[in-house]
Amino acid sequence: MEPIITTTGLRKSFRSKRGPVEAVRGVSIVVGRGEIFGFLGPNGAGKTTTLRMLTTLLPIDSGSATVAGLDVGRAPKEVRARIGYVSQLGGADELATGRENLVLQGRLYGDSLATVTARAERLMAALDLADFADRKVRTYSGGQRRRLDIAMGIVHEPEVLFLDEPSTGLDPQNRANLWVQIEALRTRGTTVFLTTHYLEEADVLCDRLVIMDHGEIVAEGTPRDLKREVAGDAVVIVVHGGHEVARRAGRILEHEPSVREATVEDDVLRLYVEDGATALPVLLRLLDAERIELRTINLSEPTLDDVFLRQTGRSLRDGGPAGTETAA
Amino acid sequence: MKVATDIGLLYKRYTRQMLRNPIWLFVGFSTPVLYLALFTPLLKQVTRAPSTGVALELFLPGIMSLMAFASGSSAGFSTIFELQGGVIERFRVTPTSRFAILIGPILSGLSMMLVFDLVVVLVGIGFGFDAHWSGLAVLAVLLCLLATTFAAFSVATAISTKEISAFAAVINGINLPLLLLAGVLLPISSQTAPEWMQVLAHFNPLYYLVVAARALAVDAYGRPEVWQAFAVLAPTCAAMLAWATRIFRRAVA
Ligand SMILES: Nc1ncnc2c1ncn2[C@@H]1O[C@H](COP(=O)(O)OP(=O)(O)OP(=O)(O)O)[C@@H](O)[C@H]1O
Ligand SMILES: [Mg+2]
Repeated sequence: MEPIITTTGLRKSFRSKRGPVEAVRGVSIVVGRGEIFGFLGPNGAGKTTTLRMLTTLLPIDSGSATVAGLDVGRAPKEVRARIGYVSQLGGADELATGRENLVLQGRLYGDSLATVTARAERLMAALDLADFADRKVRTYSGGQRRRLDIAMGIVHEPEVLFLDEPSTGLDPQNRANLWVQIEALRTRGTTVFLTTHYLEEADVLCDRLVIMDHGEIVAEGTPRDLKREVAGDAVVIVVHGGHEVARRAGRILEHEPSVREATVEDDVLRLYVEDGATALPVLLRLLDAERIELRTINLSEPTLDDVFLRQTGRSLRDGGPAGTETAA
Repeated sequence: MKVATDIGLLYKRYTRQMLRNPIWLFVGFSTPVLYLALFTPLLKQVTRAPSTGVALELFLPGIMSLMAFASGSSAGFSTIFELQGGVIERFRVTPTSRFAILIGPILSGLSMMLVFDLVVVLVGIGFGFDAHWSGLAVLAVLLCLLATTFAAFSVATAISTKEISAFAAVINGINLPLLLLAGVLLPISSQTAPEWMQVLAHFNPLYYLVVAARALAVDAYGRPEVWQAFAVLAPTCAAMLAWATRIFRRAVA
């Protein structure tokens, strides 16, 4: 793997009225050329802050970062020429048309009008923007707009593209479309660095990812490896009778040899078992013997949420709009 | 050169945004014309000017100075909106020169201002104003210097405050005393103002513009007010631009 982004001990804190906020606390990563690399984490984890440091928008407090072989702190201008960045907000001009936005963006990287016009044309075709290329951006739908944002991020053919929450606010169909477009970038050799709080997005799209929480990396690897670490299947049981009953159920079942781990949250008992299909009948029998009534029981293969839960003790789904998808 | 190209591109972008915002254009045109139509008759009475044309020699330069000041100090409002919409950040992540990001919109604002000035002069002529074009051409340079000074200040303030209420508080807090101490509507002179006011006025760049504008409106280049205005406004403008560019470089948008 040829590294294209490396960071060591990256840190950033902000001053606020209630003392300093340590947004990023020692992030070290290596991203290989041509990878789709993901930053997964809940709101406020420090994803955007890390991205803004890597894209020269925010001074680095301590630690170092290189992008495309260049030190971000020392050669910001050279770094800018090699990267594309699509922020959470996008930032297209509402009163300009899609085509005008694309052409201006390309021109700001110093390419000639003829080159940029030709590229804009090709991009609009590739990203299904051609039909409304000459309409003002103000009239675009969320999905159309996000595709334009991405087109603007790659109009100068950067080596690395940074995408901050590319699919937030999109419906599932538009999100799936966007994934196809991002996948297509990989075949062109562009390295994609994206942040997301959609587990499914990280799972489907990323070659490798890190899970971030409170400014720190809590896990790193391919989606498969991360899920394999959790091992076995997850059994999620919701009991009648609330937290106390769930705790009692947990105490009973955690002594069962097939159960590796048991956690309780409210009235939800979550178990990791080696083989769900053989363990389930045994577990049900034990609970029945203790007269614990179940509301629902759900057997699933581990998801990235299980990884997150194991590392942090919290579910990624609790926070904000994250994770509308169901377990695979 | 890359900087010149960048400035050109951002100038065009900003002008396009303005022209597509008809309400803004309407306000820009109608405000000075309303001032002329509704204020000149009062002024004529108060100053006992022999004709409307003479009253306008006093008042029209004031209006143009006011427009330069207003167009400059309001420049930061669109910066605030662009910050919040992620536009500034989008520009900052490109290799575009920081100076171009700052000056492109300012230059576009100057062009708009000069168009409005021309309209005001033409309307003034309709009311009997005797236009001296060479004097007005020199005045145009001074108007641009002052507008640029306040635009740079306003944009830099927008970049540092980042949100509309703090920005508006700073700008309004500064605008009112500067306007009152400039003699925009009625001149500040030994006949009209107490001495402390005359002294304070000499710390106000807008005051120098207003008195020079009144001299230039009657084509009196030779008057000391004119070179004094250049001597004050040119360095102030350069210093403000340098400061604003620095803010822009360091800015955390
Ligand atoms: N300019 C700033 N000033 C003060 N605090 C900030 C600033 N920017 C970010 N923070 C704080 O730093 C922390 C990390 O924020 P960041 O935007 O990086 O999170 P994120 O992972 O991108 O979250 P989200 O998923 O909500 O976008 C948060 O606690 C945030 O409030
Ligand atoms: Mg974010």
